[in-house]
Amino acid sequence: MSQDIVISAEHLGKRYRRGLGPNRHNSIRDTLAAGFDALIRGRRPESAAHDTFWALQDASFDITRGENVGIIGLNGAGKSTLLKILSRITTPTVGAARVTGRLGALLEVGTGFHGELSGRENTFLYGAILGMSRAEVDRKFDAIVDFSEIRDFIDTPVKRYSSGMYVRLAFAVAAHLDPDILLLDEVLAVGDFTFQRKCMDFARQLERKGSTILFVSHNMFSIKTMCQRVIYLKQGRIVFDGLTDEGLRLYESDSKLGPTPWFHAPKDPSLVITNVELYGENGEQKTMFDFGERIRIRICYRALRPVEGPHFLCSIKRSDQILCCNFSSYFDKVDLPWISGDGAIELLTPPLKIVSDRYTITIAVRERGLEQLVAGQIGASFHLRHEIFDVSTFGVFHEPGQWRTVDAINAKTESVHELR
Amino acid sequence: MTDMSLSRPNGQMAHPTASASIEIRPSRGLFDLELGAVWRYRELLIVLIHRDIQVLYKQAALGVAWAIIQPLFAVIIFSVIFGHFARMPSDGVPYPVFAFAGVLPWTYFAEAVRRGGTGLVSDSELVRKVYFPRLIIPLAGVIAPMLDFLIAFAVLLGVMLWFDVMPSFRLLVVPPLLVISALLALGIGLWLGPINVRFRDIKYTLPFMLQIWMYATPIVYPLSIVPAGWKWAYSLNPMVGVVEGFRWAVFGKGDPNIVAIGLSLLVIGVLLVGGLIFFKRMEQSFADLI
Repeated sequence: MSQDIVISAEHLGKRYRRGLGPNRHNSIRDTLAAGFDALIRGRRPESAAHDTFWALQDASFDITRGENVGIIGLNGAGKSTLLKILSRITTPTVGAARVTGRLGALLEVGTGFHGELSGRENTFLYGAILGMSRAEVDRKFDAIVDFSEIRDFIDTPVKRYSSGMYVRLAFAVAAHLDPDILLLDEVLAVGDFTFQRKCMDFARQLERKGSTILFVSHNMFSIKTMCQRVIYLKQGRIVFDGLTDEGLRLYESDSKLGPTPWFHAPKDPSLVITNVELYGENGEQKTMFDFGERIRIRICYRALRPVEGPHFLCSIKRSDQILCCNFSSYFDKVDLPWISGDGAIELLTPPLKIVSDRYTITIAVRERGLEQLVAGQIGASFHLRHEIFDVSTFGVFHEPGQWRTVDAINAKTESVHELR
Repeated sequence: MTDMSLSRPNGQMAHPTASASIEIRPSRGLFDLELGAVWRYRELLIVLIHRDIQVLYKQAALGVAWAIIQPLFAVIIFSVIFGHFARMPSDGVPYPVFAFAGVLPWTYFAEAVRRGGTGLVSDSELVRKVYFPRLIIPLAGVIAPMLDFLIAFAVLLGVMLWFDVMPSFRLLVVPPLLVISALLALGIGLWLGPINVRFRDIKYTLPFMLQIWMYATPIVYPLSIVPAGWKWAYSLNPMVGVVEGFRWAVFGKGDPNIVAIGLSLLVIGVLLVGGLIFFKRMEQSFADLI
């Protein structure tokens, strides 16, 4: 095996028992009762084979020194399980892995912080939890406090911190761990924009030092900027391991069309959405847009019977399931008498001024304006980016307002100065 | 095998997991206890003990006074009820000194068992999100209350002087007795901790069990009033040896029975070794169950 392989996983697998966890048989009495019940009915409490599932299966890969690898997949695809195994929090059911070098795992920022203790005390506590010696934290203490930007509050109990301060301090400690291999689980997605940028800078700095980073995220934008390689997990299995662009394309096309919870297609549907394609204003196909850009959303359909007065609805949902806007051919007074066969309709949105995030488009088609729903489909996703306007500080959208100063005494009369 | 951390330019201390490669695999052998890992993580152990002590004294308005008030009130209540009303014999020394010498090791022991047995659950966030040898948690749990013990011990010395009971060189056996009760508490904590992860009832049953155990130990009464037919049962209770040893250290009465102490040590040894194996076997599922 090459000297430069820092993580080598062979057929890693983790089996969980379904429903086993804090909420199950939490008292001895319940367990006894369940066992007794089963005894009377002549059945075993649960058949072990039926009640287990593989959160991760047959995961094999090698990661060489200095590689930044993104781990992508839907929720429950096994991403966190993989990180937990590699960080030794949980043991694999089968398979083995070899990790070479100092490993730092940040599965959550601030794990082990104690509210009653001051920022200073927590710095030492968290440092030790992450695996630093006291001497090491001592030496790096000033750098940590500078990075966190909360020097004035370092002797305040952290229970009085705002969540932002809390995260800053925790991340500052973690950033000084100086690991050879860093496992990150979505932790960069916290804090405000300037701090996030600091975190990204920190990750790049680690990269330059030759550290290896394994990065789980739902934010394809950060995956794209940080990783050359992605491992795509689907239902516990690795379905792709290779170049980021290719992996993201696969992931995006996989997560593209899906059923919606509110529409169940009948056995003989009158209309099927065959594809939802996204283009820039000038017709180039893409999934990453800038704030204020117009998007061409092309809805391809197959009408199996003529659909009278079709009404296309195209809603844009943010990654946290907030419905941000809805474009309706009906309310936009599009006059379509009927459609049939294969076809496509394209919507050119106004300049989108929703904040930087990942958005998903959902398509609904109704017949005769607001009558019968004939199709419903989760369509394509896209990213919208802006340096400053983000969800945590700017809410849903941003439009510039008009400002002026108003003299308090003569507010009603003349001394009003337009600022623009 | 090369130790990566040794080649670091800034000469920082080796990280516990930095030593060459770590092998991650499903199950370990029955007797692979990985005690070496605990040693490598000793800094975390110290920090956790430090945290427990800091938090305890920060949360409570009375702070350090708690270490004194708790045993002191127990002694006052026992002295009034058992010493004054019930006229319980006390081996010929003033009842408060007699009771204090029993309450002191017991208070430590009960707290150590409680913390050792419930620590995994109260630190569940750590267990779920960070790797370290889980043995650290019950270890920290039995070591942290030693500070309370030391503070209360100073008060005991005051009480002894007040009642004209002169301290003697016999007090030198106190540290080994403390270690014995710590090992016993650890042995019990190693069994209770993993069970508590699975069944949270332990938290509710533990105070009750400790109360019963306290009355099965000569704390409020002398061993001498126990009928001869029951003495064998008492020698199976390892805390009897500790409490009697304490009484001997404080006022030189009671008999340090070698057979009884040997039997106690045997019970502790069995609990500890069995507990270690049990704990290690359950350890891998902690993060999944908590």
